[in-house]
Amino acid sequence: MPSALTVTCEAPRLRAVIDAWLAEGRLEPRSPIALEVRVAEPTAWSGDARSAFRQPGVVVRTSTAGGVRIWWETAPAAAELAPGATTALVTLSPAAADRIEECLRTFLLTVVIFLLRRTGWHHIHAAVAVDPRDRGWLIAGNAHAGKSTTAALLASCGWQVGTDDVAFLAGDAGQVTAIAYRAPIALRPSGHRLLQQDGGVLLPKRSKVGYWPEDLGGRWVPRVEPEVILFTSVAEDDHGERPTRAQPLGQREALTELIRWSAWVILEPEFAQQHLELLAALARQARSFRVTLGRDLFACPERLAELVS
Amino acid sequence: MTRRYRRHPDLRLTALEGEGVVLHLGTRRYFSVNESGLAILEALESPRTVAELVSALRDRYEVTAEQAAGSVRAFLDRCAGSAVVQTEEVP
Repeated sequence: MPSALTVTCEAPRLRAVIDAWLAEGRLEPRSPIALEVRVAEPTAWSGDARSAFRQPGVVVRTSTAGGVRIWWETAPAAAELAPGATTALVTLSPAAADRIEECLRTFLLTVVIFLLRRTGWHHIHAAVAVDPRDRGWLIAGNAHAGKSTTAALLASCGWQVGTDDVAFLAGDAGQVTAIAYRAPIALRPSGHRLLQQDGGVLLPKRSKVGYWPEDLGGRWVPRVEPEVILFTSVAEDDHGERPTRAQPLGQREALTELIRWSAWVILEPEFAQQHLELLAALARQARSFRVTLGRDLFACPERLAELVS
Repeated sequence: MTRRYRRHPDLRLTALEGEGVVLHLGTRRYFSVNESGLAILEALESPRTVAELVSALRDRYEVTAEQAAGSVRAFLDRCAGSAVVQTEEVP
């Protein structure tokens, strides 16, 4: 079956690398989207920059006329998504092409996130999993909130894990589904030490160790219908010595948290209402909790399910 | 001259548990509003006078004209000077 996510590029080696990355991610949007990539020095944007949104190394600018421009600061690269377009015009400088692995993980992933938005898939910074009782879980939080370590721990207990970091929300027959972007669960040294698992793949540029769910005894799951949402953090005052604890959240509190972790909702007026409605539907669909993670989970992972039962 | 009110075009809103969550795409802020605030913002999709807003609230809830007027006035006062509600003067 032809992929709905295609790339064109005149540089065959570069195209092969991008193709392989897209194939590994296992994303199959419901309508076609494309990356049209060329290698050249990108030009600075002279458009109507209403607002800029920054994340590490990447700047997203939206225009009052619609459309998005995405800029990679690490090595010059730019992508243009015209209003309504489902093809992104991507210009990689030779320096960016030389750093293609890093470029894929940060810049091009952001471009794909904005392309997928045009198919009704809305990005959320979250892990997704399915427990042994077949309940879907979504675990949202920032880069130091314990998502990856928790995802790895759950995989080691036989849970199905879709992603530790990048998921897409889509409405499907009245249900909100979280679609996983397949990538290794990337553990920092602290999480790796806590998990005490051999193996894994060194991700030296990220100073992390990567595991596929299968490496840990779990299985990969492409789609999850969340029934439980956790907004996690790791207590800084007690270094995780206190037991894991959970506080139930109302739907409105859950929605405001979801907005935080699905932050592109505030960009591109033409998609914002659909994105907001999807987050609200998810807040209605699932039971939500604010969870402070403790090290006790490593001795007793089932405590997580007990806390929300 | 008559003053009419309209919600800012950058607002996006949704209802949850009978109340509202509002996104402001321009300021990138989001906030909650109570049930009557949500009803007023929904009515303000097109320009309305205070009298029309009072009527819209009374159509939706069993409240007196005074109660509805109080809610409308309080909401518009809170929005004054913010980028949530815009005003226009019409002859």
